[in-house]
Amino acid sequence: MNEIFAVIYGGLIVLGALATMVSRDPFNKLISLGLLVAGVMPFLSDRGLLDVLAATALIAPLSTIFVLMALGRDAREP
Amino acid sequence: MIVDLMTLSRIGVAAIVCWINFVLIDQIFKLPEKGGVSGASAIAREIERGNGSLHGGYMMGNIVSSPDASAGTLLASCGVYAAGIPGGLFAAVLVYIGNRICYDPGYAGTTGCISATFIVYGFTRIGFAASDFIAGMVIAILTIQGISYIHASRLLARIWEVRSR
Amino acid sequence: MNGQEAALLVCGVIAIYAAIRVILEKNTMRKLPFLNVVSFAISGSIVLITPHPLAILAAAAYFVGSTFESNAIASTWAGGPKNE
Repeated sequence: MNEIFAVIYGGLIVLGALATMVSRDPFNKLISLGLLVAGVMPFLSDRGLLDVLAATALIAPLSTIFVLMALGRDAREP
Repeated sequence: MIVDLMTLSRIGVAAIVCWINFVLIDQIFKLPEKGGVSGASAIAREIERGNGSLHGGYMMGNIVSSPDASAGTLLASCGVYAAGIPGGLFAAVLVYIGNRICYDPGYAGTTGCISATFIVYGFTRIGFAASDFIAGMVIAILTIQGISYIHASRLLARIWEVRSR
Repeated sequence: MNGQEAALLVCGVIAIYAAIRVILEKNTMRKLPFLNVVSFAISGSIVLITPHPLAILAAAAYFVGSTFESNAIASTWAGGPKNE
């Protein structure tokens, strides 16, 4: 991976983190966290850590589902 | 760092082939008819509220919330890129498992994956690279989901009217 | 620049474009198709960076996890009392 791709995927991580901080609706925060996790994956693949990648890719949605269970049904902004 | 014109035109042809493959298989398996899961119906209702079309919205919601023929096409070209024909069939098994996780019957994804495996392998025989098909599938999904949901859902609904006649 | 790098560049540019569209879109449900485009581009680039048979498993795991997450977010959002 050369510098251009590192800048592209690193920019994806930074965009996801900033959007997570800025957004106010909890559902929008979760979607932006998905953006952040998406930016991490190519770096793991570049280092050859494919098993770590598969584990991370399965753990991240499961944690999102637990957060959704804690959010409940009426957490939406009116 | 210059992308040569030959590679770009190969990616364009691959995008058209992938687009035809996954839209045809999704329409054959009646994805625009109804939302398969409740999340797909919610996305379709929001798209209809924003001046889109309901049946096109159902298809976009189904693509979002379970791996269907578009995911099958992407993972089949990934499999052919990494390991040839066995890689594509392994990807078909993985798409079927993923469909079962998302409470979907999984016929559309598996069929799309197997057909795309042989299509991509046939194109690699005549000078295309499998990586062209990965980029082409990303461009094809961009035209459906990423440009404008209004126009994309209306286009899909028009194809669905022809299919359901 | 060979074909693999060209395909990787296409995937990366589309991922950044769709991420910006996700952030700019206001409606929560209409964000999800753009997030789907991001996960398509990322699972393509996972395999493009490392051409190994295990990478297919990793890309499929990432893609299925991402769609499952979108599905859970959409169905929880639709289960709210205001929407029924």
